[in-house]
Amino acid sequence: MNWRGRLQFALLIIPASVVVLGPILWALSTSLKPNDRIFAVPPRLIPDAPTLTHYARLIAEGVHWSFFNSALYAVTSVVAAVSIGAVAGYALVRFPVRFKPLVLVLFMAALAVPSYALLLPTQIIFVQLGLFDTRLALPILYATHIIPFAVWMTRAHFASVPIELEHAALVDGYSRAEAVWKVILPGAMPAIIAASTFGFLYSWNDYITATTMVDSPARRTLPVALIFFQGFHGRDWGALMAGVIIATLPPVTLFLIFRRHLIGGFSEGSVKG
Amino acid sequence: MPASILTRDESQSSARSVRFMDVVKRFGAVTAVERFNLTIEPGQFVTLLGPSGCGKSTTLNMIAGLELPTEGRILIGDRDVTAISPADRDIAMVFQSYALYPHLTIFENIAFPLRARRRRTEEADVVKKVKDAALMLGLDSLLHRFPREVSGGQRQRVALGRAMVRQPTVYLLDEPLSNLDQQLRVQMRSELKDLHLRLGATMLYVTHDQGEAMTLSDSIAVMSGGRIEQFGAPKDLYRNPANLFVARFLGEPGMTIIEGQVDNRTFRAPDVVHDAPSVISGTRLAMGVRPEDLTPCQPDNGPMSGIVRTIEFLGSRSLIRVDVGPVLVTAFIASEAEVRIGERIGLKPTTPTSVCWFDLETSQALPRVAVC
Repeated sequence: MNWRGRLQFALLIIPASVVVLGPILWALSTSLKPNDRIFAVPPRLIPDAPTLTHYARLIAEGVHWSFFNSALYAVTSVVAAVSIGAVAGYALVRFPVRFKPLVLVLFMAALAVPSYALLLPTQIIFVQLGLFDTRLALPILYATHIIPFAVWMTRAHFASVPIELEHAALVDGYSRAEAVWKVILPGAMPAIIAASTFGFLYSWNDYITATTMVDSPARRTLPVALIFFQGFHGRDWGALMAGVIIATLPPVTLFLIFRRHLIGGFSEGSVKG
Repeated sequence: MPASILTRDESQSSARSVRFMDVVKRFGAVTAVERFNLTIEPGQFVTLLGPSGCGKSTTLNMIAGLELPTEGRILIGDRDVTAISPADRDIAMVFQSYALYPHLTIFENIAFPLRARRRRTEEADVVKKVKDAALMLGLDSLLHRFPREVSGGQRQRVALGRAMVRQPTVYLLDEPLSNLDQQLRVQMRSELKDLHLRLGATMLYVTHDQGEAMTLSDSIAVMSGGRIEQFGAPKDLYRNPANLFVARFLGEPGMTIIEGQVDNRTFRAPDVVHDAPSVISGTRLAMGVRPEDLTPCQPDNGPMSGIVRTIEFLGSRSLIRVDVGPVLVTAFIASEAEVRIGERIGLKPTTPTSVCWFDLETSQALPRVAVC
């Protein structure tokens, strides 16, 4: 790229970065300011007297347990949903399933139904089943929401993996299950990671379902816990922003770790010349 | 290529025969393979040759265990493998698409069969065998690369390496050269032949390229419509085709077939009069003659005559196409021969034995003795 190209690139990227990163940086800055400096005029991005009191307050209020709950629910639902979804996706590609197009349309239809529309009936059912306000309630609901997406994602990827790869592994002395585990799954990693990331973000960001299905503070998720810092007599901006920063960390870390898989292709070079 | 690292004794001990006994394969209402009977001796290089859709790949997949026969039995050595899983058949297969594992390096690809749990190979042994195979195939400097980082010819060798790293009972090769360019294909063809001679292994090769089949094979099974049309040595198939399909299919171009009738030991067709084998007068026969077995002559002197339609200069010789009655007869002539398009010429077989005769009722060849 010549200097003119670089300049154009920089001019385009700067506003985009400000829009995307600005609020996060401001939240970080606010979370480190003492209460009396948060609304100081003129506003300062870099706090002159940084403090961790807001973070300490979050811990004192037990928000770290909500963080742990959110993580537990998200990980459990992702593991369950992606395992089930990938198995179903594989079966829908490799086995002669009856009414296959209908099954796929059903999964698609499940994605199209807004889950909040079903929230109240679901709550009633969960109360009757004794699942309301338990640690199982949210993972079950999140997993049901992620499964159709995981099926579609993994199915598309399995369909693109040549069957010869599986045949080659069978001839090389591996059982069907071993062949799928050693050859097909590593190939489907981008799809599995994409489905997992989607599922994790959905579970992690959810507020409505979490506030409807779980009541007791011990089982609360992070978004529900943070809402209490909005308070009745004015917002506790410092603590709220500290919570926002903590809530942002897992998705960002996830993306940084898996960005190569989320973007990269897979089966290039496996077959033909 | 470096000298062999496998001793002949070592590899020969693993070579097994393959037997098909009345094997039938149906996909719904479609019969892909029909009453297939074939015995391949240990150490033989046998090719299944035929046009697309003739059932040759299905046959290969049945030996591999990737398809189950609808009827019949398949034996490898003395062992009935009809219903045994591919992993337990101890065969190696090279796929048309190579089927290299994209997430594994070349080393890991070649080592993959050895690392299967059921083989329990010591890691030191794995390393040694992979390195030996890589050395033999000239891949030793590429072991750390991924399949996408090497050329088509090298990928093909990796696929071969993965097959030969253990000593399987049978090698199955499904059009392994079809994705290579012409030059590389010719080179790999001779390397494959060399490999077969050194390993002394039973190899079953599938192709629609008769050049490959002729140069590589001890025996060829010409297939069409799920059946074996003829099985035999390449030269035998070429010189003595058993029926019209094999006659037309083998050879580039294939044998010219002229349909006619026999009267008083004379074969007659439009613009053709030739001595005929001793059959009952009135029998409808087909006369078959290969392009290289025809030589030009004066129009009135030869058993057939016609108008030259095209002349293709091929270097050492030319291929001419001549309209003889309704049939387009092909013949190779010396490139310096004075023949012009539109000219009427005569053609005669170089020897009487170079003509093949087929019964048009059955499409089968008449026994040679009747002709000569």
